[in-house]
Amino acid sequence: MSDEIDVQLLLQKYKGRYPQGTAGDEQVRADLPVPFIETTDADVRTSGLSDDQVNSWLEYAGWNLWDFILGRASEGESGLIPRQEYETVSFVQQWANYPKFIRILTEELGVDGLLELATTSRREVGTKVNVTRNWAASVCPILGRGIAVDLGFHGPDDRREDLEDFIQFGRRLQHGTWGGGPGFVSARGFQVPVLDDDVLATLVDQAKPLEGPARDAFRKFNAKTELFGFMLHYDCRAGMGDTGPYPLPGGRFAIVRDHFLNETAYPWSGVAEGLPYCVTEVLIFPSDTVTATVNEIMTTFTQPTNYLDHLIEGVVFARDEIDTPMSQLRVLDAPEMDRISERCHKGTLGMYRALAKKSRDEKIRDGIMVYTREFLQSHALKVGLWDRFLAEGFDTMTADAEKAWPVLTGGKAAEVLTPVLLFGKGFPTVTSKESQPA
Amino acid sequence: MSTETLIGTGINVFTSDARTVGKIRFLDSPEEVLDFIDGPDVAETIVISRGGTTTFMSPALMAGVAGLITLQGAPESHLGILSREFSIPCVMSTAFSEGVQTSRGETVPADGSTVRLDITGDKGQVFLVSE
Repeated sequence: MSDEIDVQLLLQKYKGRYPQGTAGDEQVRADLPVPFIETTDADVRTSGLSDDQVNSWLEYAGWNLWDFILGRASEGESGLIPRQEYETVSFVQQWANYPKFIRILTEELGVDGLLELATTSRREVGTKVNVTRNWAASVCPILGRGIAVDLGFHGPDDRREDLEDFIQFGRRLQHGTWGGGPGFVSARGFQVPVLDDDVLATLVDQAKPLEGPARDAFRKFNAKTELFGFMLHYDCRAGMGDTGPYPLPGGRFAIVRDHFLNETAYPWSGVAEGLPYCVTEVLIFPSDTVTATVNEIMTTFTQPTNYLDHLIEGVVFARDEIDTPMSQLRVLDAPEMDRISERCHKGTLGMYRALAKKSRDEKIRDGIMVYTREFLQSHALKVGLWDRFLAEGFDTMTADAEKAWPVLTGGKAAEVLTPVLLFGKGFPTVTSKESQPA
Repeated sequence: MSTETLIGTGINVFTSDARTVGKIRFLDSPEEVLDFIDGPDVAETIVISRGGTTTFMSPALMAGVAGLITLQGAPESHLGILSREFSIPCVMSTAFSEGVQTSRGETVPADGSTVRLDITGDKGQVFLVSE
């Protein structure tokens, strides 16, 4: 009986103490030993973190993950793609394999180069060097650490240097994007108005009123391209990304939405042949009837929930290739939007039929490729390091991931993962460096 | 004269006053989904899936089913997000008080039974419609 009461409490409040949303953010931050989830020019350049810095970051990251996983109720199982299974093995893979690669990036670019790289999301749309990856490139491997500790692969105080490097890597990306202050979206009021004013203006200026059939066509395009992005990226949100809300004159606000349609990183990418690398939608709503938040993985939620019924203006751009300059974004006209919608429809069905024939293990292995490449590949490509990553074993499955696979994909996965994902065991704190054996 | 009986309650993904009525079809495998979209009456069918992930139901979303019901997941699940984009009424993590048993022992309305989805509030309700 007491166990049931505890479970209910843990589902209502993180570790039984902190609620969801802005109230939870404020409470958990108030209890942190140091405000290390905020970044400064000085503290993103340090190495050698204190226990208080590490543990403050871990405590907040644990609450942050719990906060949005609760909203999904862990999604449940998929009859097509074993997503929870591949995601959780990927976390272990990232914890085992990413340290070498974040160090290559840091050594090659320097801290200032990393900060500069992370400004990409302020200056560009149709880029995966974005806020989702700022979060995922550090939080996900560190969640893999929590799983590894839970599975008994090592203790919470082992591999301290890797842990600190991941925290600082993520903080540097956050600092480059935001320029300082809270790095997590949840500590920014669940708002991601990341584009610089001049970049936003060039996009919003092209928006047109949407009514009747034009609005219906826009909504159909939005739905079919978003679904195809999910399919291409193995049912994960790597294929989409929202920023905003951006307040606009005249009592309006905008959401800027990327749907990545032609990611060539994967063996099944042929299904996307002929599609632009990314389509970027600008969606404009009246502020007096709709309010919006955007979460850590760049997904918009609104009040009222039927937000698209309130869409008043919009425009869609294509970024044809991953490296197409922003100055060469194209506005899509109605016939091309229809063609892209139709291609996405056919592509989704084609990929569905192919997936239906694949074995579960094949799909888990494919999914691991997606989930490990997605968080660092765009960064490495942009600075010319991707070929080196591949040559140095970026895709090689580690022994820890292979060892975790049967546990995390088998019938007892929920027993392991529920406490890690929801009950605060995913981010075990560290103890004093001074007390560690030499 | 038809009568309605509340048989299921879940979490509503988006609100609408539109009347959503259809015949139930429980889809349990990709093969069943593909067969279903090639069959008749897709637009008059409310489909049930177990999970809240989106790709499994993607052909049904694109085919324009009348409604979606899931046994797991929540509005921020991928299927919740996509049902919103397709404007297809969706009630998630639904618990049914009567119906037939699936192969895994879950209770769902029988295939072919007529239900109405009430999605006017945060809570989604499923009513069995009897003639």
